[in-house]
Amino acid sequence: MARKEKVRVKTSSTAVRMSLVVFMLVMAFFILGPLIWLGVHAFVTNWTYPNLTPDGWTWHWWTKVFADSALEEAIRNSLIISPIVVLLSMIICLPAAYAAGRMNYPGRKTFLIVMFAANSFPKIGLFASIATLYYALNLMGTVVGVIIIQLLGTIIFMTWIPAAAFASVPRNLEEAARDAGASKFRVFRTITLRMAMPGILVAIVMSFLASFDEAQGTYLVGAPTLFTMPTEMYSLVQNYPIQVAAVFSLLLAFPSVLLIGLARKHIVGGQLAEGFQIK
Amino acid sequence: MASDKTDVVTESFEVKKASKLSVLGFLMALPPMLLVLCFVGLPILIAFTFSLGFTAGPNRVVSIIGQEIHKKDHWWGTFAAYKDVFHDSRFPGDLRTTLLVTLIATTLVLSMALGIGIYQRMIGGRLASIMTTLTLVPLFVPVVIASWSIHTFYAGDGFMRTFLSHFGIDFPTLTSTSSAIVIGTIWTSLPFAILMVTSGLQSVPDALIETAQDAGAGFFRIIRTVLVPLALTPIVIAGTFTAIGIMGSFTIPYFLGPNQPTMLGVEISNFFGSYNRPQQSIVMAFIVFAAASGIALIYIWANVRSAKQSGRI
Amino acid sequence: MSQAPKEDGLTLDGLTKVLGGRVIIDNLNLVVKKGEMVSLLGPSGCGKTTTLRMIAGFLIPDKGDIYLDGKDVTTLGPEKRPSAMVFQNYALWPHMTVFNNVAYPLKVRKLAKPEIERRVHEALSLVNLMHHKDSRPGQISGGEQQRVALARALVQEPDILLLDEPLSNLDAKLRVKVREDIRDLQRRLGITTVIVTHDQDEALSISDRIAVMNSGRIEQFSTPQELYDRPETEYVANFIGSLNHIQGGYSQGQIVPGSEVVGIRPEDVIFSTTQELGSYPTTVELVVPRGHFCEVYLKRADVELRAFISSNVPAAGSIGFARISKALIYKDGKLVRVA
Repeated sequence: MARKEKVRVKTSSTAVRMSLVVFMLVMAFFILGPLIWLGVHAFVTNWTYPNLTPDGWTWHWWTKVFADSALEEAIRNSLIISPIVVLLSMIICLPAAYAAGRMNYPGRKTFLIVMFAANSFPKIGLFASIATLYYALNLMGTVVGVIIIQLLGTIIFMTWIPAAAFASVPRNLEEAARDAGASKFRVFRTITLRMAMPGILVAIVMSFLASFDEAQGTYLVGAPTLFTMPTEMYSLVQNYPIQVAAVFSLLLAFPSVLLIGLARKHIVGGQLAEGFQIK
Repeated sequence: MASDKTDVVTESFEVKKASKLSVLGFLMALPPMLLVLCFVGLPILIAFTFSLGFTAGPNRVVSIIGQEIHKKDHWWGTFAAYKDVFHDSRFPGDLRTTLLVTLIATTLVLSMALGIGIYQRMIGGRLASIMTTLTLVPLFVPVVIASWSIHTFYAGDGFMRTFLSHFGIDFPTLTSTSSAIVIGTIWTSLPFAILMVTSGLQSVPDALIETAQDAGAGFFRIIRTVLVPLALTPIVIAGTFTAIGIMGSFTIPYFLGPNQPTMLGVEISNFFGSYNRPQQSIVMAFIVFAAASGIALIYIWANVRSAKQSGRI
Repeated sequence: MSQAPKEDGLTLDGLTKVLGGRVIIDNLNLVVKKGEMVSLLGPSGCGKTTTLRMIAGFLIPDKGDIYLDGKDVTTLGPEKRPSAMVFQNYALWPHMTVFNNVAYPLKVRKLAKPEIERRVHEALSLVNLMHHKDSRPGQISGGEQQRVALARALVQEPDILLLDEPLSNLDAKLRVKVREDIRDLQRRLGITTVIVTHDQDEALSISDRIAVMNSGRIEQFSTPQELYDRPETEYVANFIGSLNHIQGGYSQGQIVPGSEVVGIRPEDVIFSTTQELGSYPTTVELVVPRGHFCEVYLKRADVELRAFISSNVPAAGSIGFARISKALIYKDGKLVRVA
């Protein structure tokens, strides 16, 4: 059968179309406006209110940021810690995600709900609570402490999204591969894992962003000895002119923009949404 | 029916197979469970005892550092810290701000997500997909940057005031008001809500909408009686996640909100750090948690409902 | 375009539809009389569902007109058309009970509550489902879901009923029963019906007339009997029933060299142990039991033939005589004569 068109309801009156276009422009302005406004500040000398154009253009703030050793250290910390967190998260969570998606074991539903409940305690309250534990365990201000804090934020992505992805691999495809003579492990590697890959990829991207952007807990545990890029932002915006924060923002946004291209298709394709329904 | 019978047979076979694997499955699920138990469950439990005035054991260090610590005076503890918080002059304003911001922002986010989702489902086209992609941008922007850029955008010398002053409009300075918190939370919550709602609406089969059309139903009736009821579960999930996220948020009210009254997330941090009153800070965390748990129940209800409908329970 | 037809029923006049740059329906004409049951029969991709969706109003034809009881409905949306459709997967709303599913079209029409109740009960009794009126679609069997979908269509008292592969999700036994039920209901209510199917058995057994479709056109539109006895094109002959398909010419009961195509139905090959007029010696190569008849492979000097024989089945290897009682001769795909 010829693939039919989408269900369409006639609304093509120009008034409706125009108001939709206006709505979209307002949305674009609402979402992109602040980002562009801040981004432009990375290249201006000063902007006197209420002029429509800045006083002048400069690269000065960029050299300033790269010359500052504290900022450089923060960038280095972020780029080291986040990959470690994602890797650990994968090792810890992916087997559990497979189990939650494909097996039925005692407490499976409880597991998914506990993961969710963990998410509904206010983050900042949790970090304050963890701080007491960290004092007792001597983890305050250590890399291990920060890694654990960031790991907690990735668990929900790394268990739920891949669990849904594993669950949606049709069993008869695996059975067909077994039938064709492939070993259990080979079936897992070439069929199951391959088909769940988009979901896992989305989980990796979301986990990386969660870890890379985590500021509250890292600040509470890491400051004043250990700063990452987002926690450095806290002190930046208070101690430096807006232009430095703008430069830093652009640097901080860079990996995110890179990841958009990687995972956009699958995120829009419903992998993320699929993961948040307990089945 | 013959086909029903085969279903039953394969199902019971799978159940048997599953029970054999259950121990392995449990072991595989263990590591993240342990991590959550150790670093979420345990701290929350310890914190709870601390809020009740248990100052020994793991709470010893924080009890020494902190000020205005109440020690337990009954075997079960004391409510003194809770009383402190409820009698604090700032608390009612903070609580009201927290609940109001959560309510207003969640409502706005959900209605925007529904609007865009329904538009994409029922009408579609390039405009719709551009719009959906656009609303995903905040997903990839760190919250700190988002807060700071919104802060500067709506500030006294921000773009809105700069630009509109040339048209003779004196746009109010929103930064450091509750309105800015609402704007910021909408900005950051929108992508997730839209993803959930859109994918929920997209998964309603065409045929179910077409039959309604064939039966004579118009645009809005189809939305009300078919589309939204069938996508209710993902819509509720989107709403609860958004509400819980907003309720406990810190970064956005910290950068965008007024000093007083502010959201409880900021106050928790203030009490813990600036005021050095950790016990009261923990008490506030539990108040937010209690409110969030209420919302979480709705989430669990929605999931159970969808499982029931598809016959999984 | 041409004048609106005066007679009642459904008229498709020069329908053309292009989807994704491909011509799906190509200048299609069809007239369905009031109260008639017509099948659109063809393989997947022949455009039969697209045609049905245009009749229902889900697709607007690029060219041509659709008339219902003399009224032009070409550009009316599905909600404005007096047609009701039963979808392939029934498309029952899982969040409504059986009763509410059937009541929906009436609620849309803002009928009074007692009136709705009465008509829904009537429709559900018609399909024998009163006992399931408070069940949800997920709790009843496939055959019952099918009947709910039918009741939901009938309750609208449509001028025309459209069925899109209504039986394809049922198992073989149930399919025969349900198609008889549908036929029975259709006759009783006298409702004009168009049914899309790829199953020739289904089409032959329930339709008044069948339109055989091939790549967006109607190859032949006639009664089941005519379709079987006198397939106008080689395509129809091959699609309907079984056929010995032979390249060559035909003369006096024998295949001779030639450039035509000879089609012989296996049941038109008569086997006997004694020679009659027009029969020729043959050996029995293979006998395949097919239930109430046998498929017999015969080898004559001029041709190899398949025959369906239900009594006095010869044994493989035996010798006898075979006569061709009827042959269809096609040239360039069109029927030129019947011998």
